[in-house]
Amino acid sequence: MTITRIKFENFTVFKKLDIQPCPGINVLLGANGTGKTHIMKVVYAACDISKTQVDFAEKLIRVYLPSGRALGRLVKRGQGSKRGAVEIHRDATKLRISFSNHATVSDSATVIGVKEWTSQPIESVYIPVKEMLSNAPGFRSLYSQREVHFEEIYADILDRAYRPALRGPVDRERKKLLTKLEKFIDGKVTIKDEEFFLRNKQGNLEFTLLAEGMRKLGMLWLLIQNGTLLNGSVLFWDEPETNLNPKLFGPLIEILLELQRMGVQVFLATHDYVILKEIDLRRSSEDKILFHSLYRDDAGEIQCDSTSEYLKIHPNAIAETFADLYNREIKRSLGEIGI
Amino acid sequence: MTVLREKTLELTLPHGVHGRKFDDSNHGLSYCMKAVDFIVEEPDRVLFIEFKDPDHPRADPKDRESFLKELLSGGKDDDFVRKYRDSFIYRWAEKGDEKPIVYFVLVATSCLDEAMLLARTEELKRKLPVEGPASGVWQRQIVARCGVFNLETWNRHLPQYPVTRVTP
Repeated sequence: MTITRIKFENFTVFKKLDIQPCPGINVLLGANGTGKTHIMKVVYAACDISKTQVDFAEKLIRVYLPSGRALGRLVKRGQGSKRGAVEIHRDATKLRISFSNHATVSDSATVIGVKEWTSQPIESVYIPVKEMLSNAPGFRSLYSQREVHFEEIYADILDRAYRPALRGPVDRERKKLLTKLEKFIDGKVTIKDEEFFLRNKQGNLEFTLLAEGMRKLGMLWLLIQNGTLLNGSVLFWDEPETNLNPKLFGPLIEILLELQRMGVQVFLATHDYVILKEIDLRRSSEDKILFHSLYRDDAGEIQCDSTSEYLKIHPNAIAETFADLYNREIKRSLGEIGI
Repeated sequence: MTVLREKTLELTLPHGVHGRKFDDSNHGLSYCMKAVDFIVEEPDRVLFIEFKDPDHPRADPKDRESFLKELLSGGKDDDFVRKYRDSFIYRWAEKGDEKPIVYFVLVATSCLDEAMLLARTEELKRKLPVEGPASGVWQRQIVARCGVFNLETWNRHLPQYPVTRVTP
């Protein structure tokens, strides 16, 4: 069962927003400050608590880290008293949280639907923009013992990465993906004393000596190998393009498409044209892809326009940037010759 | 007013500007030299123009797809470059004047967005090449400027040279 609907009311940057994701790859687009990461974090928090059974409000605080850990700061700013609310649906199952902008602790939130929601746990993983594997040794113990100012997504991703490999033989689809990734990273990932290494013919290479893009692909290898990404899992990936050579975008999208075919629901936030175009060029007609374009309307409120067709993405801030560059390039050519 | 035609695409020249279909039977050297579709003579400059028509109403969808695939992977760049250079040499031998030459390529399909057009324009600049060697020994450019367009951007940026699609 996948995430089928996300509704916001006065939550962070959203006044009112209703998104209906597809069961496959959901690509979130939009200028900075249009809430792409906020959407992914809230859905991730809902997925995570379905397994850990942590209080939803508490998880939101840990994932968003509002100042003073005050829950009410997640209500959209405005004058007077207001309540913020979020609703996440998996078909008929619904998890809803609402709280006032004066709420300081998680107890003051009203959460509805927890029992049913947690009776069907969802495996999920959130890959943040900053790569974490190279900082892993000691980070988890530090995070669990001290009040360190890190959003919990950073500790959570390490928990997932440290999971041991699944028991039993690796099925054909996963094996194919792992082999593909091993070709790109030129080896396999191993863990020794909480430290990650890339193991190949030359020996063990510590992650701190690897390019950051390679570490990201290594992370993906681990998550597939240890069964975190399986049929029914939900993957959230914030700006996968960061620190990755554009030549690797194609293979990366190929792997995400394969995961989607295996039944993994994907949420992807991106600013990159190549990522978008690779999805458009590599998808087959059976692939389930939905582009969600976030933008501010004339009143300054955030709206979302969803389409499955690349050419119908509107507005498309990324393509508009290229259109602007192209227009200026052509104008320069024409201008200098006086046409 | 002169109207030049390549398959289903018609290019209308401004009043008083002369142009000709260049790759027709009058060329005479097509066995050894490639040619752009049109050469347009303006008082102070010359336009070399190449049209590609993947959206031709009678085009086989498979041919169209393979053309676009080749175009996007840079496989057509060398063809555009060769057409320009051979036409340049031809015209040099023919006239020998020193008017700057501008090269425009129209790929008449709605599938090409501005990011793709920008990428192809930059590659064409690099491969023609617009700039000479870094040593600076070139005394003149072999091409002044170039640009790759789709039908919409052509008519937007070159309104004085409108192109329309006519029925086959």
